[in-house]
Amino acid sequence: MASSRDDFVIAFRSAFLKKENKQKFSLFTLLFISILIIILSSLNFKIIKDLKSIISEAVYRTSFIVSVPENFLINSYLKVAEYSNFYEDYKKNKEELKNFQSKEILNEIIISENDELKKLIEDFTFTRNKILAKVIVDHDSPFSKTLIINKGSKDGLKIGTNIYDENYLIGRVIETNFKTSRVLLLSDLNSNVPISISPGDVQAIVVGDGTDSGKIKYIKDNLIEDIQDQSIAYTSGTGGVFRSGAPVGRVSINQDEFSINFYSNFSQLKYVLVEIENSNSLSTTDNDQREIVLDDTESVKIKLLNDQIDILNDSNKKFFEENTELASQNKNLLIQNNKLENRIKKQTTEINQNKLDQEEFEFLKLNLLYSAKCQKSVFKKGYEVGTPEYKNCILKKGRE
Amino acid sequence: MVIFRKNKFVYKLYAWLPILFLLFSVLNEFDLNYLTIEYFSFNFPFILIFYFTLKEYNRFDYLLVFIAGLVNDTVIGTPLGLSSFSYIFVCIFSVYLRNITIRPNLIKDWFYFLFVITSINSMNYLILFFFFSYDLNIMFYVINNLFTFLLYIPMTLIFNNYLKTIND
Repeated sequence: MASSRDDFVIAFRSAFLKKENKQKFSLFTLLFISILIIILSSLNFKIIKDLKSIISEAVYRTSFIVSVPENFLINSYLKVAEYSNFYEDYKKNKEELKNFQSKEILNEIIISENDELKKLIEDFTFTRNKILAKVIVDHDSPFSKTLIINKGSKDGLKIGTNIYDENYLIGRVIETNFKTSRVLLLSDLNSNVPISISPGDVQAIVVGDGTDSGKIKYIKDNLIEDIQDQSIAYTSGTGGVFRSGAPVGRVSINQDEFSINFYSNFSQLKYVLVEIENSNSLSTTDNDQREIVLDDTESVKIKLLNDQIDILNDSNKKFFEENTELASQNKNLLIQNNKLENRIKKQTTEINQNKLDQEEFEFLKLNLLYSAKCQKSVFKKGYEVGTPEYKNCILKKGRE
Repeated sequence: MVIFRKNKFVYKLYAWLPILFLLFSVLNEFDLNYLTIEYFSFNFPFILIFYFTLKEYNRFDYLLVFIAGLVNDTVIGTPLGLSSFSYIFVCIFSVYLRNITIRPNLIKDWFYFLFVITSINSMNYLILFFFFSYDLNIMFYVINNLFTFLLYIPMTLIFNNYLKTIND
């Protein structure tokens, strides 16, 4: 018994403490260092933060280079798939473009109105100074749905900076280095975004589900019925972490479970837009500033009205052009109509004439056969040739 | 190996392949540990580290394993030091097994490996959950554990061939 215990101790000591051939450190030393690093990082020690920042700078770049062949293969496959669906996509896009063009004018008005209303309710108004950032590492993991982008504190990024794919919100910055940053995606389990659901204007919070969608939580029970399938979810701006009015996704209802299908496909992000805050946070305390805000509001109103006038003028011009074209078309149609009427008249006359000719022809044909029966002669009582009675007799084939 | 030994650089590269592969797998965006396939993922570094430590491969430097762990943490966004801790723990368990084994047996190694990865994944889960308040999916760990265990044998066969070519 004692001997087996000794064996265990020897083997354990050997595994733990003995520095093997060509090994620079014993496993115990390395284990101790890693435990120390974990403890220090849980306590948010500055040294660990700096160390992490240094490693991040080096690793993100290297990871980007190492992933080049893999990304090349994936992109090539996607390109081939895209080319094979090219024509169908083109047709679909064409139809969509038509719809979008018709909605564009309406959207412009709504955007201007939205801007004005936001200023009136003294919401944070950002100057929409968006800069383009490249996704250098897109490492999927169950712990965190994050991206690494090539913009950092040098470019003005801060923790909490909103990140977009086109106009759609995709996440926020949670870690900044000098030239790189980590973005927490909306699909992450730790992501919470206050949203408004339209129609109904229901307030809720969308929480990432760790895959590629989100779950809607914290809705008041009596408002659940107001939510419809395919409703639109956009940020409400509550809490001030996210700007209000940024589209997030569409609501999907599945067996009393409400989830969000995000507009953006997080696995296909190559470039993202970073909203740098040139914070024009509208202060409510300063009167001068308030006046400036009001002046600004007036100018926005005037601009909005001017925009509306421009849009209406454009619409009027279009209608006028359409009207003129329709009038000329109408004129052409009338002329064509007259021509056709004349042609019909002519054809009717011809048909009538033809009818008369046919009657005459019939009479002559019968005359040849029955003239002897109907004609007046010395021995027979009949009718004078050329009289209506004679003609009647012929048509009746000699019968009286 | 005759061809290899003629070209020293190629031979060196080939000899350092396990550690290069480890670094490549933690640096690359495509990670076998976090595949997007539902109900399938496995921890390739665990298999690699366990196998080469067990075989006492002389170019498998623990310091590089430790660094690979730090890199992995940075790339996937887990707390710094956690993967290094896991990897070093795999090494310790593996070295212990090597020290107490007189006649190596693949099946015994295999089940010991299951015990090792289950212990380490449990530790990982507990550390992340209690110290860093991570919201984790336990199913991921169970599936990952199972497939890492199942794929140990095929991986061992590949690595055996590799060692054979090196030792020839």
